[in-house]
Amino acid sequence: MAEWVKVGSTGGVAEGEILSFSVGERQVAVANVEGDLHAFDDWCSHQQCSLAEGDLDGTIVECPCHGSQFDVTTGEAVQGPAIDPVDVFEMREEDGELQVMMKQE
Amino acid sequence: MSRVVIVGGGLAAATTAGTLRDDGFDGDITLIGGEPIPPYERPPLSKEYLRGDETEPQWVRPPDWYAQNAIDARLGVRVERLLATERVVELEGGERVPFDQAVIATGVRNRRLPIPGIDLAGVLDLRSVPDADAIREEASGASKAVVVGMGFIGAEVASSLRQRGLDVTVVEFFATPLERVLGAELGRVIEALHRDHGVEMVFRDAAEAFEGVGRFEALVTKEGRRIEGDLAVVGVGVEPMTEVASDDLRIDNGIPVDAMLRTAVDGVWAIGDVARHDHPVFGPIRVEHFDNALRMGETVARNVQGARVVHDDPHWFWSDQYDEQIQMSGFAMSWDQTVIRGNVKDRSFAAFLLRDGQLLSTFSMNHKFDVRRSMPLIATRAHPDPGVLSDPDFDLRQLHPPKE
Repeated sequence: MAEWVKVGSTGGVAEGEILSFSVGERQVAVANVEGDLHAFDDWCSHQQCSLAEGDLDGTIVECPCHGSQFDVTTGEAVQGPAIDPVDVFEMREEDGELQVMMKQE
Repeated sequence: MSRVVIVGGGLAAATTAGTLRDDGFDGDITLIGGEPIPPYERPPLSKEYLRGDETEPQWVRPPDWYAQNAIDARLGVRVERLLATERVVELEGGERVPFDQAVIATGVRNRRLPIPGIDLAGVLDLRSVPDADAIREEASGASKAVVVGMGFIGAEVASSLRQRGLDVTVVEFFATPLERVLGAELGRVIEALHRDHGVEMVFRDAAEAFEGVGRFEALVTKEGRRIEGDLAVVGVGVEPMTEVASDDLRIDNGIPVDAMLRTAVDGVWAIGDVARHDHPVFGPIRVEHFDNALRMGETVARNVQGARVVHDDPHWFWSDQYDEQIQMSGFAMSWDQTVIRGNVKDRSFAAFLLRDGQLLSTFSMNHKFDVRRSMPLIATRAHPDPGVLSDPDFDLRQLHPPKE
C-alpha cells in the first residue's frame, strides 16, 4: 500500500531551504533545490540527527552533527561518516498541498 | 601487482579500505588491526555509550562488510615491524606480509601517568570499547568518580558520569578546562557549564598518587589534596603509536607525511592520529580528531590509486557535553583577536579566533552552522571583516570562494 500524504502547503518551503514534517512516526525532510522539491528521510543514517537542520548546497545536504553528506535527489551518502543512504520519497504539489508518497510498512 | 596493506584497525584504516572498494579498486587489501573486533567509531565511547544510551559499538562498516568485499581483515593481530624500504610487514609470530603500498594508521595510545597506584583496580582510562565497558561497570553502583585531566576526554567523561548520577571531581593541571585548545577565556565558559551541572573542579593541580588497599580509594594531588572516590578515570593525553615504523620513516612526534600524506618512503603512507601532516595552511601538525581520520582515509585511498590529492581539510570536531553541542574548526596555536557572534552567557555563540586578521579557528556552543561555514574561509586563509563575523544575521557562506 502506498498513498499520497499531505505534509504542508504549496510554497511552504523556500528555495535553498529544508523543512522537516512529521508523517506518522517518521520525519520527512523536504528540500527546495532551485524550485524543485525533494523529499527524503530526515534522520541521518549515521546517528539519526535531523538533516533538515543541515546546510543545503546544490542537491547536497550536510548533516549538522557529524558532517555526512547526502544527495537529496537519490538519498545516496556521498560523504561519510554515513555509509547507508537515506530513503527518498516521491513528492508532488496538488490542490495547494505538498504531498509525499508514503509506503505502508 | 597491487597489494595494499593497511596497518591499523580504527576509523582511518577502515575508511581507507572502504573508499578503495567504493572506488572499484580490485587489488588485494589486507587490514591488520590490533583490536579483536572490527573498526568502530570512538566518539560515542565517552558520550552515548558511556552513559548507557547505546550498547552496541558504532561500526565504521558493518562487521560482515570486510569479508563481503574481499578485505583480508586480520583482527587482534599485532604488527611487529613495518619495513618500509623492503616493502614487508612483519607480524608477531614471524609471518611476513609483502606489499606494494602500505598505509600506516596505527593511531595513538593513552599517556600513562608514571605515579604510584596507577595499576590499582578502579583506576581506568578510555580509548577502546573494553575501556568504556570497564568504566560503565565500575560506575554502576558507584557514587563518586575522580577524573584526572580536563581536555575533551576528561570533560566528556565528567559530563557522562554526572549524567549517570555520580558525583564527579576533576583535577586539571591548567587554570581552566581545555586551556591549551581554547585559551582561558573560552575555557572558563566550559568551566561554568560543568560547575552548573555540579562538577567539582580543582585547577593548577595534578595527580601525585592513587591510594587504596587492593583498589582505588583516593587521589592524592601534588598540592596535597586527598580526593576520595569509588573510581578514577585518567585522561591526560596520548602518544602516537610509531614503534612499528622502520627508521627510514624518520619518526618525529608521529610519522611525518607531506601534504599528500606520503612518508619519506615512496608507496608508504601515514594517516590519522599517528600522522604528522605537513598541512598547507597550518604547517606540520598531528591531530587526533575523528573527522581528520575519516578525511585522511578518503584522501589516501585516492592517492594510493594514483591521484595526487593535497590534503587541505581545515579540521573539524565536535564534543557533546550535557545538552550542549560544542564544535570547532581550524587550528590556532595563538591568536590576537576573538570575535564573538551570539551570546556567551546563554551558551549560544560562535567565537572566531584571528591572528593578524586571518581567521584561524572557529569555536561554537549551540551555533554549529558558523563552525562548518567557517571551514572554506580557514582553508583559503581568509581575512573576514570582524563586523560581519559578529553579525548573527550574516551568512558566512556569502564569503565562500566560488566553486570551480
